Amino acid sequence: MKIIEIENLDHRFADGTLGLKNINLTIEEGTFVVIAGPNGSGKSTLLRHLNGLLLPTTGMVRVAGIPVPENLTIARQMVGMAFQDADSQIVGETVSDDVAFGPENLCLDRREVNRRVARALDLVNLVKLKNQKPHLLSGGEKRRLAIAGILAMEPKVLVFDEPFSSLDYPGIKQVLEQIVSLHQTGHTILVAAHDLEKVMAHTDRLVIMNHGKVVKDGSPDQLIGDLETFGIRQPCAYRLGGEVQSWLN
Amino acid sequence: MAELTVFGFRQGTSLLHRLDVRFKLIFLVLISLSSLRAQVAGLFLLTLILVLALIHVRVSLGSILRDLRYVSLLLVFIFVTRALSTSGSALFEFKIISVTREGLHAGALVCWRLVIVIITGLAFVLTTRPSEIKGAVAWMLRPFPFVPGKRIATMMGLIVRFMPVIFQQTKETLDAQRARGVENRKNPVYRLVKLGIPVLRRTFERADKLAFAMEARCYSENRTDPRLASGIKDWIALFAVVFLCAITIM
Repeated sequence: MKIIEIENLDHRFADGTLGLKNINLTIEEGTFVVIAGPNGSGKSTLLRHLNGLLLPTTGMVRVAGIPVPENLTIARQMVGMAFQDADSQIVGETVSDDVAFGPENLCLDRREVNRRVARALDLVNLVKLKNQKPHLLSGGEKRRLAIAGILAMEPKVLVFDEPFSSLDYPGIKQVLEQIVSLHQTGHTILVAAHDLEKVMAHTDRLVIMNHGKVVKDGSPDQLIGDLETFGIRQPCAYRLGGEVQSWLN
Repeated sequence: MAELTVFGFRQGTSLLHRLDVRFKLIFLVLISLSSLRAQVAGLFLLTLILVLALIHVRVSLGSILRDLRYVSLLLVFIFVTRALSTSGSALFEFKIISVTREGLHAGALVCWRLVIVIITGLAFVLTTRPSEIKGAVAWMLRPFPFVPGKRIATMMGLIVRFMPVIFQQTKETLDAQRARGVENRKNPVYRLVKLGIPVLRRTFERADKLAFAMEARCYSENRTDPRLASGIKDWIALFAVVFLCAITIM
């Protein structure tokens, strides 16, 4: 089933700059897609169209067949987004308050809110820190909290914008483990990244963007040789003639 | 600076933790107001009850005193100001400076009252989840027309959440400027401007990102309200607090 359909999408910013040019993309449910590209290539702009944070200047984005601009609440419930800067995403004064923020916005019954909070904290292994103040968490824990905040809304698609930026090695492993396990439980995963080292071994499909356009779209094996043409560094193992390994091994 | 956490909720099961937040807000107002009218005996009684309450919620008094050390500067300032500005029988005189017995007494009373208000507030926030405080504020503002109670409560929550982040950001900016020799510039206005502009810019950028993140999670003022429930224990506590306040001001 097609979970995301993007047709002839253009986005022009308020200052007149064209951020996205004629994007056509279809994403199947349950796939793990990496959107790669250098800084300013339009990755984040594209992702923000998936839940209506930005609306198309022309073209159409559909999530599960529903046009995003027609029902923003459904789009935002179905497409959970983890931003690059987790600190700016966390709004609660405690870990559990933050996870409850989304379900409360959906006006769910208090018992259902509590059930979803408990489940989401359990999934990201933060139950013990539920009363902790978010600013005292480590980088990896903050990123996992941001993921829990999204999971509590029970989305079908999870979008990660540069999920490994400014994380140490244990933090990267924690977040990667989380993303892979969410993919294994049937979620559709979209990761925007300029560094493919950590995700290359797990992705089904690679979409390369440059100057606001999709320039390549295919399997990682097909495209790995072309990466450096578009300003994306090839994974280290490939450069050394080896096979790309998972960071979880 | 991000560790400014004395005024923060601490998990517990004490009676104060279990009381309804709306009643606790009323207690906070009653005790603070009665401390303003109370004299030495009343203040002594209030202090004793509050210290017992803090022991009951299992908070280390030493850590509270340590965390409140900056407040002591304000108290010293108030004490000295009252001691020097109140007329009466002089205990010490030097040129135009005169410290009076009445001034010392008035200064000590004002400081004592302030300490009681601070400790009452501390006992309140230590035993109440921020989300409950937000809920109680929204509930109390509900009867007032044209006052967006839920929006005010959300803004309060965001301030509590982001204060440590902004402090941390200010410290990072200050450190970065120190590393580039800002201390060699003696003009405080120059230093304030050079610190203020980047901190404000980063704060506004963060606010923009926050707005995006809240929208992404379907933010709306029409949300699930926190569960607020009162019982017999809250009414008994209210009776006890009213009785205590009446004694202290008599």
